[in-house]
Amino acid sequence: MPFEDLLKQLRERTERVLAMGGADKLARRKAEGHLNARERIDYLIDKASFIESGRFAVGIRPEVSDKTPADGKVAGFARIAGREVALVSNDFTVLGASSSVTNMKKIRHVKQAAAQRGLPLIFLGESSGARMPDRMGAAGRAIIAQDPTEYQRLRETPWVSALLGACYGSSTWYSAMSDFVVMRKGAIMAIASPGVTSIAINKPIEPEELGGWKLLTGISGLADLAVDSDEQALDAIKRFLSYLPSHNSEPPPEAAVAPGSGEPCRGMLEIVPESRHQVYDVRKVIKAIADLGTCFELKERYGKSVATVLARLDGKSVGFIANNPLFKGGALDADACQKVTSFMVLCDSFNVPLVFLVDVPGFLIGVEGEMRGMPGKVINWMNAMSQVTVPKITVILRKSYGQAYINMACGKGADEVALWPTADLGFMDPAASVNVLHGLRQEDDPERFRQLVAEVQRDTSAWALAGLYEAQNVIDPRDTRDYLIRALQVHRLRLKNGVGGHRLANWPTSY
Amino acid sequence: MRRGVVRAGIRIVARIEVKSEITGTVWQLRSKPGDKVEEGDTLIVIESMKMEIPVIAEEGGTVKEILVTEKDPVAEGQVVAILEG
Repeated sequence: MPFEDLLKQLRERTERVLAMGGADKLARRKAEGHLNARERIDYLIDKASFIESGRFAVGIRPEVSDKTPADGKVAGFARIAGREVALVSNDFTVLGASSSVTNMKKIRHVKQAAAQRGLPLIFLGESSGARMPDRMGAAGRAIIAQDPTEYQRLRETPWVSALLGACYGSSTWYSAMSDFVVMRKGAIMAIASPGVTSIAINKPIEPEELGGWKLLTGISGLADLAVDSDEQALDAIKRFLSYLPSHNSEPPPEAAVAPGSGEPCRGMLEIVPESRHQVYDVRKVIKAIADLGTCFELKERYGKSVATVLARLDGKSVGFIANNPLFKGGALDADACQKVTSFMVLCDSFNVPLVFLVDVPGFLIGVEGEMRGMPGKVINWMNAMSQVTVPKITVILRKSYGQAYINMACGKGADEVALWPTADLGFMDPAASVNVLHGLRQEDDPERFRQLVAEVQRDTSAWALAGLYEAQNVIDPRDTRDYLIRALQVHRLRLKNGVGGHRLANWPTSY
Repeated sequence: MRRGVVRAGIRIVARIEVKSEITGTVWQLRSKPGDKVEEGDTLIVIESMKMEIPVIAEEGGTVKEILVTEKDPVAEGQVVAILEG
């Protein structure tokens, strides 16, 4: 038979690559309950849609060419929910998926195709860092990590990263550049491994304390979400991508609206207390407004006094930025500022309109915030917001005090501003205003205090702001969903077919 | 905060410190030693910025100690309760 030997070779070589780092290593992973690099791809993508890029690529040193199937990083293209994506799945069973000359060429190739052809890019992270001895000496410097444009981020298409094991080197850098990072609890991400780090700092360090999920989702904020299994992490990637377009030159995909989506908003008066002294969880408000079952919160454990939630309204993607009085009374701290700015960058880069739900007592004042450069973060937020080109609609639920009024897109910050009748536009709490302005405490003269509070409140009401046309509507809280759907219909980006200006596309991925 | 872990069939009880996330004054105690609480339950209410701000259990467990009483001033990050999880 013609071709017989050659085809046999193709079959055998394919089998060897698909055997990855060997049966023992794969069995150990399975016993631990973790998927391997190829199983992760299979779980993530539409059945049989994978076209591999570099299946027969191997490590560049002849002595490892037999031990480096796919050179430790499985790359290629596939479809998710019918849409093309580019991906890299690190195979830790092959030399710890260490970065080498060949596999970095693979990353460069799919990255370039993603940017040029408009495909989301997915990194499934689990890697040990630069391969040794390849990276050693001046010769190593000449071939690995010498080109800063490797780490350039211009947000032509969404980038998503999953941290699914030990993540050092390549997996760390690409997750820090991504628009969405999900991690499996138990995975670790850091600049260097706990072993290397403990030698450097000359004391033992627990992996979880160096780069575990609590640190990444609650303290550094570099991960958006932590889940319990590989499968849940891959599901989260699919979910995240469902809100975004494949690239920045098209609007996000639309989805059918679940029946009954208008009903929860009718119960709004049971969610938000009328009294400004009482708190509530704003995520319940967002759930009541959005299409049923469409809320996907980012950075739930970070900067909790503000919630950032992707959702759909009338089938169309929208990003909610909402003060959450349940945490710190809704006062905005340094983490909250960074969280909001990164969320605006995400939404503006991928043509997702923004909705601000405002109930903010101001910025959290104190020494800790100043030490973290709080004024700079407040202004970064404001500067980023002034460059947002997607539609912005604001609803002021209750208080909007101080400078935070502008940050939360009140006034000229939004295309439309609506007020609930409970809106309160003071510079601070009315009782505190009387303390400051009149030097009067309640216990000094209760009757006069009550009168002065009433006077301050008259000037800070929804009616006062609406009277000045600094807000365009005063609405019944139960009509908030209908109002937002209608306002977003009016403000669609018709002239550009739903595509914004992306002035934040090269904003830092974290700072 | 650490969750109790099961090792070799023995459940190791973890001591969970619950901190106030804000500076203010204790307004109400909503739990007492011995209470079983779940993630998200309010343990204590702090009055701050003219608001009633809850101290919430981030993990479920049994209340071991409440370290403040009503009208006590509390600082941001101060441990106000101990749970066993």
